[in-house]
Amino acid sequence: MKNIVIGRYVPGNSFLYSMDPRTKLIALIVLMVAAFLIQSFAHMLVALLLVTSLLIFGKISVKRVYLGLRPLMFLLFFTFIFQILFNQEGDEIFVLPLHYTALSIFAAVAVAVFWFATKKRVRFKLLYFLITVVAIFAVFHFIDFGFLFARGTFRVFEEGLSTAFFIMVRLIIIIMLSTILTITTKPTDLNLGLERVLKPLGIVRINTEEIAMIISIALRYIPTLLDEANKIMLAQASRGVDFQEGKLKDKVVQIISLLVPMFIISFQRSDDLANAMEARSFVPGQPRTRLHVLTWKRLDTVAMVVSFLALTFVIVSRVVL
Amino acid sequence: MSVIEIENVSFTYHGDKRALDNVSLSIEKGEWVSILGHNGSGKSTLSKLIVGLLKPQSGTIRVDGITLSASTVRDIRKRVGIVFQNPDNQFVGVTVRDDIAFGLENLQIERPEMIERIEHYAKKVDMYPYLNKEPHALSGGQKQRVAIAGILAMKTDVIIFDEATAMLDPEGRERVMEFMRTLNREGTTIIPITHEMKEAVMSDRIVVLKDGKVLKADKSENILKDKETLERSNLELLLPLEIMHYMNENGIDNPSLKEFLWQLSLNG
Repeated sequence: MKNIVIGRYVPGNSFLYSMDPRTKLIALIVLMVAAFLIQSFAHMLVALLLVTSLLIFGKISVKRVYLGLRPLMFLLFFTFIFQILFNQEGDEIFVLPLHYTALSIFAAVAVAVFWFATKKRVRFKLLYFLITVVAIFAVFHFIDFGFLFARGTFRVFEEGLSTAFFIMVRLIIIIMLSTILTITTKPTDLNLGLERVLKPLGIVRINTEEIAMIISIALRYIPTLLDEANKIMLAQASRGVDFQEGKLKDKVVQIISLLVPMFIISFQRSDDLANAMEARSFVPGQPRTRLHVLTWKRLDTVAMVVSFLALTFVIVSRVVL
Repeated sequence: MSVIEIENVSFTYHGDKRALDNVSLSIEKGEWVSILGHNGSGKSTLSKLIVGLLKPQSGTIRVDGITLSASTVRDIRKRVGIVFQNPDNQFVGVTVRDDIAFGLENLQIERPEMIERIEHYAKKVDMYPYLNKEPHALSGGQKQRVAIAGILAMKTDVIIFDEATAMLDPEGRERVMEFMRTLNREGTTIIPITHEMKEAVMSDRIVVLKDGKVLKADKSENILKDKETLERSNLELLLPLEIMHYMNENGIDNPSLKEFLWQLSLNG
């Protein structure tokens, strides 16, 4: 628990690491907008290729980015399937006759049950699920004998397929870009960059320095509070609370026995911290000098120009096409 | 010249009984004055009053001749620093460097000067190799030393140690005590607030608080031997002095042993 990593920063050395956090933040937003505006199939592929090459030239391990994508795999997959099944515009591009017979239904159920029973032992769960889905369709398509109930067709439409493709690639690009940002930027630098980028909000009387201070203190105290939670859990466990087992009702009680002390301790801590900060001359909203400064390099200008050019290109091609 | 003057100060927490009742004391520049008291004696309240974290209901507090008020509190905090009890709850920065910088940023010190001071004071408390470390990689004693460096960097004249060694292991405590000694020799006014007799032995004077009142304020050697006062405020005599008392009460006369016991107690 002591060596917990906040954020997903991975130390490394490449041009992505030496870039100013402000550049990375603005470029992320610009490129995201660009990814949303792309309409042509070819441009989308090029964009995906460019982002992937950014990974390679920035010396970021593809595995890390995959780990960033993995929690969202299901969502990606689901939107893809959803679009294919329910978007029925444009031309039919794929027709698969299906036969619902007693035998095929029985076989499909058998496949599903087999999948359900074995899925926990398979490493590539999503791939396994895909294979199962294909297998079920194959069963309905090929087994056309044995007491036929009804016939059906599975249709894929052009519009459905292209929308599904665009949504998926867009999401992948966005997730990849933001993963690049979090991998190559320390949380503290990111925070400082965010503070500076949002500085214009001062016009509407939002004090970005204060927000940045809150975020940095939150970052600072996450490991401390996790440690505390661990201690409390051990203390409760020694009094017979079992955090792993039990019914839902018991679990709620157990969680409360963790949350209540955590809540009280956090308030005591924040009270102490507020005193310590004030005693060291901190006055909210007062101007402060800063130890950390951000330096704008030529690389940042180049990166900025390139991302805006990409956005302009996308907008122009959208208008022209 | 008195650096801290407290006159007839009373303070009551919201709806509670009096935490401080008509307290008056003054502390000279460069002095080492321990404020000794049991839990609930009001000693921590006193430290919070001195830096203006709490506002007294009556009485005045002067630091360096400046009377504490809402408009002068910032000036006073430039002169008085506090090291608090819990090492974790006063660590503001994400790293040691950031934490020492925190107070300097607040005082609007220019960056080159800031860097210079951070390095100088980090070296002074032997935390220079740890400048880029995060707090959870440090021991309690190390965090406390960072807190001391953070206050030293602000160049305050007075440092209050509010039970600053209570949560440390013996080694960490010894290190912090050592810094108190060095700083005092260099002219900083040191005010440890504690219930540990051991921590008070080295001070010039001791102020004993009980139930929000000053029970006795005298030179340390007098207080250390004053069994009656200490017992009234629920404090324990140091073991060698306890033996000395026993000898006195039972008429055992051995001047060289007494001298030895006295030296023993002074060395903690």
